[in-house]
Amino acid sequence: MDLTTLMTIVEAGVGQTADTAASAITGVDLRTAGAMIGAGICMGFGAIGPGIGEGYAAGRACEAIGRSPENAGLLTRTMLIGQAVSESTGIYSLVVALLILFVMR
Amino acid sequence: MEIDPHHIELIGRLAGAGFALGLGGVGAAIGMGMAAGSADEGIMRQPQAQSSMLRTMLIGQAVGGSPSIFALVVGLLILFVPAMDLAHVGGNFIAMLVGAGLAVGFGCFGSGVGCGFPAAAACEGLARNPSRSSRVTSVMVIGQAVAQSPAIFATVIALILLFFYQHPGTDWAMMGICVGAGIAIGAGALGPGWGSGMTAGGAMSGIGHWPRSHGVTLRTMLVGQGVCETPAIFGMLVAFIMLFAMQNLQNDIVGFAKAVGAGIAVGFGGIGPGIGSGIAGKSGAEATATRPRLDALVLRTMLIGQAVSQSTAIYALIIALVLLYVI
Repeated sequence: MDLTTLMTIVEAGVGQTADTAASAITGVDLRTAGAMIGAGICMGFGAIGPGIGEGYAAGRACEAIGRSPENAGLLTRTMLIGQAVSESTGIYSLVVALLILFVMR
Repeated sequence: MEIDPHHIELIGRLAGAGFALGLGGVGAAIGMGMAAGSADEGIMRQPQAQSSMLRTMLIGQAVGGSPSIFALVVGLLILFVPAMDLAHVGGNFIAMLVGAGLAVGFGCFGSGVGCGFPAAAACEGLARNPSRSSRVTSVMVIGQAVAQSPAIFATVIALILLFFYQHPGTDWAMMGICVGAGIAIGAGALGPGWGSGMTAGGAMSGIGHWPRSHGVTLRTMLVGQGVCETPAIFGMLVAFIMLFAMQNLQNDIVGFAKAVGAGIAVGFGGIGPGIGSGIAGKSGAEATATRPRLDALVLRTMLIGQAVSQSTAIYALIIALVLLYVI
């Protein structure tokens, strides 16, 4: 089944006449629409890992500071470095989403 | 190929109610199971305290069950809300019902699981200190109430969709707005509900071990939970922008994709930061309960850590706003 047939069926299913719907959507439109949803998926799912990972680092730092408060400066510094590294995949997602939106579409 | 409007209506109602209860019931079931498991362990250790533990478990489960009741109410509304204009019912109506279902389904999932953490920790704490039953129960209910606020945001958006967004016909823009707003607030509320529940759970297990430091622990818990809610507020912001400030969204498949993409970005982008801030808040509240004199230092570290873990939610918000306003 090719894409035009599929779109016709979808459009008929949601109550439009098939002719106008099939002629209204071009390949360029589909490509742009795919880019929009793709950028959303890229940033949305890409943000899950760094968020959990950085929270984990922060949690461990809180526990460690509770146990040895005299090393608070060192522990906070280590936490921030670890979080910065685990942030990197979130930044990759941001960069790829922006590339999709501004360069590739 | 013409389809009977009654069938279109039925497709929307069944799909929407399926999302609402299929997703929204899962979380509360997991949360209640955690509470029951901990109560069992506690009763095994201290059989003489079984009546107070049973009471705390039941209160925790009753409060923790309310996200699934929100999902049930919205699910029934999706099934039975009267269609205003049955002759012209079309894609807009289906999208509105699916959007409301996604909002309340994902939104009640997180809060349902989240409410289980404080209930489980309260039962564990009572097994250690059965005499503290009333104090432990009151802090548990406060923590659960805050953990439910993302589910309430999602329910509000679902009700707005159900009662103010019944449009006849089929428009790409309107379909995108309904589905996008539903995903934005629904998935956006999942992480914060889960995370603020974890924070409350950490505070409860701290208070169970060290009941004397309950004042500072309660403060740290509430601050931590407040920070956890941020991604849900981003999701609600984007949902409100879509519902009330996007009248001139282009009415073709690109406009549909813009709205749905923005919803996916800010919605799923909020899951990680919400849960992550919850992990930080859990340890922060526990550390505060253990060493109440260090509360300022621990609170500062917790807030820095939570702020950094929110950064990806801010990236997701930026991408959503770029999709809606710049592209």
